[in-house]
Amino acid sequence: MHEAYAMALWQLIERGETPHQAVVMVKKNLDLKGRTAILPKVARAFEKIAAREIRKRTMQLTVARIGDFEKALRGAKEALLEAGIREIDLVESIDESLVGGWRLEGHDTLIDNSWKKSLLTIYNRATQ
Amino acid sequence: MQTSIIEKIIKEIDGYTSAQQTEHVGTVTAVGDGVVAIDGLSKAVMSEVVEFETTHRKSLEGAMQSQHTVFGLILNLEEDGVRAAILGDTALVAEGMTVRSTGHVLSVPSGEELLGRVVNALGEPQDAKGPFKNPTMMPVEREASGVIYRKGVSVPLATGIVSIDAMIPIGRGQRELIIGDRATGKTTVAVDTIINQLHEPEAKRPICIYVAIGQKESKTARIVEQLRSAGALSYTIVVDAPASAPAALQYLAPFAGVAIGEYFMDAGKDVLVIYDDLSKQAVAYRELSLLLRRPPGREAYPGDIFYLHSRLLERACRMSDEKGGGSITALPIIETQDGDVSGYIPTNVISITDGQIFLDSSLFNKGVRPAIDVGISVSRVGSSAQTKAMKGVAGGIKLELAQFRDLEAFMQFAQDLDKATADRIASGQRMVELLKQKNGEPIPLERQVAILFAANAKFFADVSIGKVRETASQFAHYTDDQHPMMLRSIKESGMLSEDAKKELCTSMDEFRLSHKELFADVK
Repeated sequence: MHEAYAMALWQLIERGETPHQAVVMVKKNLDLKGRTAILPKVARAFEKIAAREIRKRTMQLTVARIGDFEKALRGAKEALLEAGIREIDLVESIDESLVGGWRLEGHDTLIDNSWKKSLLTIYNRATQ
Repeated sequence: MQTSIIEKIIKEIDGYTSAQQTEHVGTVTAVGDGVVAIDGLSKAVMSEVVEFETTHRKSLEGAMQSQHTVFGLILNLEEDGVRAAILGDTALVAEGMTVRSTGHVLSVPSGEELLGRVVNALGEPQDAKGPFKNPTMMPVEREASGVIYRKGVSVPLATGIVSIDAMIPIGRGQRELIIGDRATGKTTVAVDTIINQLHEPEAKRPICIYVAIGQKESKTARIVEQLRSAGALSYTIVVDAPASAPAALQYLAPFAGVAIGEYFMDAGKDVLVIYDDLSKQAVAYRELSLLLRRPPGREAYPGDIFYLHSRLLERACRMSDEKGGGSITALPIIETQDGDVSGYIPTNVISITDGQIFLDSSLFNKGVRPAIDVGISVSRVGSSAQTKAMKGVAGGIKLELAQFRDLEAFMQFAQDLDKATADRIASGQRMVELLKQKNGEPIPLERQVAILFAANAKFFADVSIGKVRETASQFAHYTDDQHPMMLRSIKESGMLSEDAKKELCTSMDEFRLSHKELFADVK
């Protein structure tokens, strides 16, 4: 049930209500039905919906160091063009475990151009 | 580090080309009880295998040390994502983990090298004998063969159990249910059937697949050992999904078993698959379905529980000669509660199969073992597969036993019974004794024919009831020693010729003369 309320909240905001107004409307409805107690669950479900929607609309470009972003951005844009993905927002993040290179994830797609992947592949082939 | 390893690494680095791949992925949003909710994977298909990226966010060193491949099986396609069952260690899967699509549906390895091996529901070796070198991958879910590719059941599959081979015969390609309460000997019947295939010539011997679902590991280990010591493991494959395995693997195990069998069937061989047991598979599927939030139906089983078993058992068939003439015989096992065969799952499987062997706990407790209740056991297609020799000698047994069961209640008034009734009771008692068998000691078909021929000729009427089994066993051995050619002719032709009948009569007379002590206390 809390998922349905969270979805209603999301749709209210999508239709142009301000977040404050949308929350007030949903809370009012919950009060009327005596279900105020599920409000924290609604909030958590809303968080998941928001994360999902963001994932749909953006892609995360991860590099190992800040200095790698410029080069990674060029490589990522080329890769996106090749994959036929246009007009997508890129969110930048840092993950030192990648060692080098870059990794682009989101929009149901993963392009892993990191050194970590290459090194793991070599390690696996050499040790098998 | 050893020089060879360094050389290998240098070689790998030299030959490495970084191919940039675009992969279809999703993200784990929830994990629990072996089931994951995944966002994304919008192009995924049902029953597709997905791979969890367990090295995500781990350092290179950590990733190298703890590389575990964890797969999942997509079971629900939803609006914003998919739900999948984890086919491995659930503890390695975490929220936020990336999930890769593999683009192929679940398949298991099959081939000759699986013979004598114990594998899990994914076909991975469980017996520390090493990986398979060159297996053929078979899809776990495959549509059952169509009508035009099949032919009727006409070749017998001997179980070595007299009461089954005589009264409830099974044919190759048949689906015969073994049903009964707990501890009534269901598994014993199945295992004896596997062991009995030793009596078949190697060319005609079916490949046996024993699928253990939700069983104790100790029980499966005991069965494997029993098969090994009987010499039956060389033509047997054990698929083990123990009680400790995740529900997804218990649900998949029978499908993996039949998929392995289909490899041999496609190659024109006969296969015997035993599902021990499908009630536990149904329970595992119920658990999985509830976790996948599918609507519960009767007894909380999902709506497609019938389809689960029908699509599995429909894969048992006998192929036409154009398709190689191979077959899969299925012996599913169902455990009943307090003898109630009218339960949901038992009635489903009874209606799907071509007959059932009912094991009765009261018979078992009376010492009638195998505790087969021939009154309600039936084989709908097996009689057309029964050899003429067996048909000739087994014709009247079922009727005789039925009459005996009717008269059994009057046994306590034995003093007041007329002679005809008393004779019928005595004959019935001897027949019941004749049908008793020790476990792990299946009897070859030709010996069964000899024993039943003797029984029809009232050979055991002069033997006290307590000695009937011993006498029958000794008679069978005697005939085997003294008249081996006659028994071989029965085995090879499947017929009981007039000459063979005469020789059997001679053997009976000779045996009676040489074993007077067995006939000494005749009443």
